[in-house]
Amino acid sequence: MRPFEIKGITAIHGTVSISALPCSLLLALLASAPATASELPGELDALELADAALQPVASARDWQFFAELAAGGQDQRTSGWEAEQRLSLDLNADIRFAPGWRAVLSDRLDLGWTGTLDDDSQVNTLREAYVSWQPGAAQIYDLGRVNLRSGVAMGFNPSDFFKAGALRSVTSVAPASLRENRLGTGMLRGQWLWDGGGISAVYSPKLGDQRSSAPFSTDFGASNPRERGLLVFSQAMTDWLNPQWLIFSEAGQSPQFGLNLSILASDASVLYLEYAGGRAASQIDRALGLAGAKSFQSQLATGLTHTFPNKLSLSVEYQYSSAAPAAAQWHALQQNGQDYGRYRAWAGTMQALTTQQALFTYASWQDFPLARSELAAMLRHDLTDSSSMLWLQGIQHFEQADLIAQWQYNQGSARSVYGAGPARQSFQLMLRYYF
Amino acid sequence: MRRTFAPLLASLALLAGPLHAAPDAQQLLAASDTIRNPDKPFGLTTTLTEYRNGKQVDSSALAIYSRADDKSGQFRSLLRFVAPARDAGKLMLKNGNELWFHDPASKGTIRISPQQRLLGQAANGDVVTVNLSLDYRAAYGGEESIQDGEKQTRTSQKLNLTAKNPEVTYHRIELWLDAGNQRPLKAKFYSESDRLLKTAYYRKYQNELGRERPTETVIIDGLDPNWVTVMRFSDYAWKDVPESWLQRDYLPRFKPEN
Repeated sequence: MRPFEIKGITAIHGTVSISALPCSLLLALLASAPATASELPGELDALELADAALQPVASARDWQFFAELAAGGQDQRTSGWEAEQRLSLDLNADIRFAPGWRAVLSDRLDLGWTGTLDDDSQVNTLREAYVSWQPGAAQIYDLGRVNLRSGVAMGFNPSDFFKAGALRSVTSVAPASLRENRLGTGMLRGQWLWDGGGISAVYSPKLGDQRSSAPFSTDFGASNPRERGLLVFSQAMTDWLNPQWLIFSEAGQSPQFGLNLSILASDASVLYLEYAGGRAASQIDRALGLAGAKSFQSQLATGLTHTFPNKLSLSVEYQYSSAAPAAAQWHALQQNGQDYGRYRAWAGTMQALTTQQALFTYASWQDFPLARSELAAMLRHDLTDSSSMLWLQGIQHFEQADLIAQWQYNQGSARSVYGAGPARQSFQLMLRYYF
Repeated sequence: MRRTFAPLLASLALLAGPLHAAPDAQQLLAASDTIRNPDKPFGLTTTLTEYRNGKQVDSSALAIYSRADDKSGQFRSLLRFVAPARDAGKLMLKNGNELWFHDPASKGTIRISPQQRLLGQAANGDVVTVNLSLDYRAAYGGEESIQDGEKQTRTSQKLNLTAKNPEVTYHRIELWLDAGNQRPLKAKFYSESDRLLKTAYYRKYQNELGRERPTETVIIDGLDPNWVTVMRFSDYAWKDVPESWLQRDYLPRFKPEN
């Protein structure tokens, strides 16, 4: 591994062995020795610099709060560009209030408007609010709303069973944003750990029936529409092999099994595989409420992340869902406007793969093109109808703020996965300030 | 009495060493490891400040809990970013080449490759606790007079370290120890192609966790000497780091005591 990019020549230094000199002569030399050849002027300058530096030691905080101001627009296929603005307030707090006890709160408020302030929308997302008790080093219990996310894949997470219905306010299609800005699930969770392994058990009761669009709703109807349970087990088999196994149950559905596996392929590459399987009806039948036959269905996402010495990381991922429509079914569904609309709404809510196969690539380049900046690009390509979404992001970091620019372009025929949306492209510029 | 004079006698023996047999280089290296690394699980805060051409361009701080593996002796560490604000709360588990990264915002825990430096200077931050004697074969390179990190001329014992396996970060290291007490003074780290990657000065020795330890390391980039990173170590404390914490599934739970 090379921790820094090295392009130039090696610093040259010479040393003179004095180990064979008599001790008295050595001591005499020591008293009057000038800087030796091994210390280059640059090294002495660096020590002078370090002497002058007075960087205070940062202390850990229990909370993080930022405000994000965004302005941009959408290029509607029928009506041209429409401007939109947004202010988001984002809080995360994790407070240890007694030995072994922690309280976690995570909340986001999105205030959006198009054109004038009269035409505004408000969405508050209570992502997490729970109490955690750790009576010993190896056991932990949580009660409340927890954003529990599973899965090693980047663009599609079959084993992330609690993602269904979790999205409340989508401000960006970036994978990180979709995972971040979502409702947690009301649950009781226990976790028990041992050397190299652990098990988690989750019980999530039904707490509501309907999603709520009220701005400040806790929306447990969206996050806890049914009684659910999850077991997560992991045991390191070797230093490099540490699979995670999951069993998920949901009222009215057959149990689903999950697997997460990632291995180091080289000092710059990680291979990963995420799988979920179990008996289920097809996605179309579930979306349309049809009593279709159940069969064993598999979903997977597998890929590779490689990091180049110049800090460019590239991920390529293949995504598959046997329960999603294949080409013929997808084509038939596209011909039926009402069913098509219902299916798309269901797939979006469930964060399911829309058709049977897709490709996902993601690249991020740190310190490019400038120091403290980052360039990212994402391409989602549907292998069933060949539609695509391209997304680019540039970030410039400052001491307390980030300046972010995002551009999204959707390509595809009408009613294709990425060509069906009302907007052809969108752009937004964001200023995020950390308090 | 014997205990009182032991360090002095040892120092004299080492000073006289070159006149007789060369000192055992591997023992010297192991002795210097114990100066840099406490022998029981511990915690500290590392503050990294990065300079380019004399100007500060970045800074970050990490809270680190470390514990040596009972079998291999190598340190495994849990790291939590304290600063800057955008990275605060991000977590990393380092166990040799096994690296796990957790972002509390997206809740994901993913394996990362050693090259995938998601957080820039973490590559420097996690070299704090490394037992070099486990990964390197040391050869005695004789005594040299060098300038130490305090810009004082000092008699040193030079060790030439070669990696025992190709998976380590640095394939060759030159290490200079204080001839009197085996304190690490300076090191030069080389890549597989024998290019100088970085030069480190260990300095500002203070009494921490029972003995004098360096509280600052100045790292100079091998290619660009104007790229300097100053690492300061503070808040040393003995910490209980149970074996069961050093795994992926505990990582999202890790929160150092303030």
